[in-house]
Amino acid sequence: MTRSFIRSPLMTFVFWLVLSFMTLFPVWWMFLVSVRQRVDLFGTPSFLLDVSRMTWGNYQAVLSNPTFQKYMINSLIVSTSNAVLVSVLGLLAAYAMSRYKLVGKDNIFFWVLTNRMAPPAVFLLPLFLMFTLWFRVGDWSLFDTRLGLVLLYCVFNLPFAFWLLQGIVDGIPRELDEAAYVDGASTFTVLTTIIFPLAKPGLAVTAILTWVFAWNEYLFASTLTSVDARTITTGLAEFVTVTGTNWGQLAAVAMLTLLPAALVLALVQRHIVAGLTFGAVKG
Amino acid sequence: MSSVTLQSVEKSFGQLTILKAIDLDIEDGEFLVLLGPSGCGKSTTMRMIAGLETISSGTLMMGGKDVTNTHPRERNVAMVFQNYALYPHMTVAENIGYPLKVAKASKVDRVQKVEEAAGKVDLLPYLARYPRDLSGGQRQRVALARALVRDPAVFLLDEPLSNLDAKLRVAMRAEIKHLQRSLGVTMIYVTHDQIEAMTLADRVVLLSDGEIQQVGTPDQIYDDPDNLFVAGFIGSPSMNFVSGQATGGTFSTEKVTGLKAPIDGMLTLGFRAEDVVLAEDGRFRGTVYEVEPTGEATYVVLQMDKDRVILRCDKKYRPELGVELHFDIADSQALFFSAETGKRIR
Repeated sequence: MTRSFIRSPLMTFVFWLVLSFMTLFPVWWMFLVSVRQRVDLFGTPSFLLDVSRMTWGNYQAVLSNPTFQKYMINSLIVSTSNAVLVSVLGLLAAYAMSRYKLVGKDNIFFWVLTNRMAPPAVFLLPLFLMFTLWFRVGDWSLFDTRLGLVLLYCVFNLPFAFWLLQGIVDGIPRELDEAAYVDGASTFTVLTTIIFPLAKPGLAVTAILTWVFAWNEYLFASTLTSVDARTITTGLAEFVTVTGTNWGQLAAVAMLTLLPAALVLALVQRHIVAGLTFGAVKG
Repeated sequence: MSSVTLQSVEKSFGQLTILKAIDLDIEDGEFLVLLGPSGCGKSTTMRMIAGLETISSGTLMMGGKDVTNTHPRERNVAMVFQNYALYPHMTVAENIGYPLKVAKASKVDRVQKVEEAAGKVDLLPYLARYPRDLSGGQRQRVALARALVRDPAVFLLDEPLSNLDAKLRVAMRAEIKHLQRSLGVTMIYVTHDQIEAMTLADRVVLLSDGEIQQVGTPDQIYDDPDNLFVAGFIGSPSMNFVSGQATGGTFSTEKVTGLKAPIDGMLTLGFRAEDVVLAEDGRFRGTVYEVEPTGEATYVVLQMDKDRVILRCDKKYRPELGVELHFDIADSQALFFSAETGKRIR
């Protein structure tokens, strides 16, 4: 096969078609399951939607379920709080690392990144002990609290935010800070009026990706929560019981879980590209 | 407005001292230019005055007040950066008004002062635009207007014209000088361009290797240099240098005879290309190495033994290569420097 054939519009079209199919087919299949009646689920599998037998019953059942509503609210609160906290702390840390001469700067950066190197499961047991025994005041402990999850996700998301935002802040010319200082600004004013607006694309990326991480996280949420702080991902597992699996409602919840993340990503994907390439070339 | 005084100011990075005991008095309303080659410490000096670099030792006074360790925002200086440092997310009006905004000036006051400052640099039609929509010259004027909008004690300009094309640079040079004159403000200006320094300055400070080589008016620096560095740095073409020996009060080489010298010993003679007169009985001689017509004059490069000198001649003059020419200079225009220390011998 010649190189020109491989790069021809037809082959490019075929390549992206296959890739799109691989990505979207599971979502389509999940949607089909979520709108099928229970009896149709175990018939002859079909890729096509039979509109005459379509039902929104699974969605109605899930959305009217108070437990599911609580899980959804928990997920929203935990993900959003985590995204905001991580973005703010990440920006402050990145600014300090970018602008100040700190002792052991490179080592700090590497050390922070090592948090992301081990598989999260490695931390599970110590975290469980910390949540149940160490961070405990009377009857209250971090275990099964939204605060606990928010703080925990910060531990895993901050290195990423720090790494991403440092590149962004490094890309903002130091002369702008200096000009603002000479113009009479304090460090806080420089951060809020110069750095924050210019780092917005990077902050958007950080917020979105950390939000999605927290939204999709299952391992810690299932281990470190029991009743009050359960999130939507852990709720998914509750449809698999010893007496059987409620596939229709499971698929409906999965679709509802997917929706906010897909919506957010679709709306801001342009910012993500801008954020990831910010500072790559001198403006 | 305010005076600025540097007393034995030094800047060191570890063991390396890049500015050595700088003493300088800048008067209220003066236009002072810090001039020197790259890496001489002129920008560092300015950044120390702005408060953007710490002072390793010495004292910096502004308006009689010690500001050595004061934060930039408390110094009441305005600075124009080499790359203008305009805030890209703000419009021209917001850029100009930023110092007033951080000073929490009222909106009415801000709008009025922004328009006033923009008017001074002809930016009124561009107030709603963003820096990316402006030309280099317009951006430069925004940076100037941002400096003008409040009433700073001192204006600092760090090579503000270096990013402009030659034609615009000449125009902006005149604008900056006119602005300084009309406002009567104290301006400190950093440049490596001697023409800029000579045309703008009330006084020039010539720096090299972190040390002040000479402080003086442009005329003093040009006509009465203190050392070989100053003599060679200022002027285009550079001053001509001829090495030789003076004995019995007379400087002579194989190509120079009978020139009165202030002392005996190994000396370097310096003279300007434009002070030369071609004369058959001249005390200098050399062979024509190259001829460079520029339109307004013809520069003739002569080989004088080891030294090569440039003479400024009539624009129609075209000597043949290799021909021997005789020329002379007035005794008063012959400057002598110690061959050993490079210092001027008067």
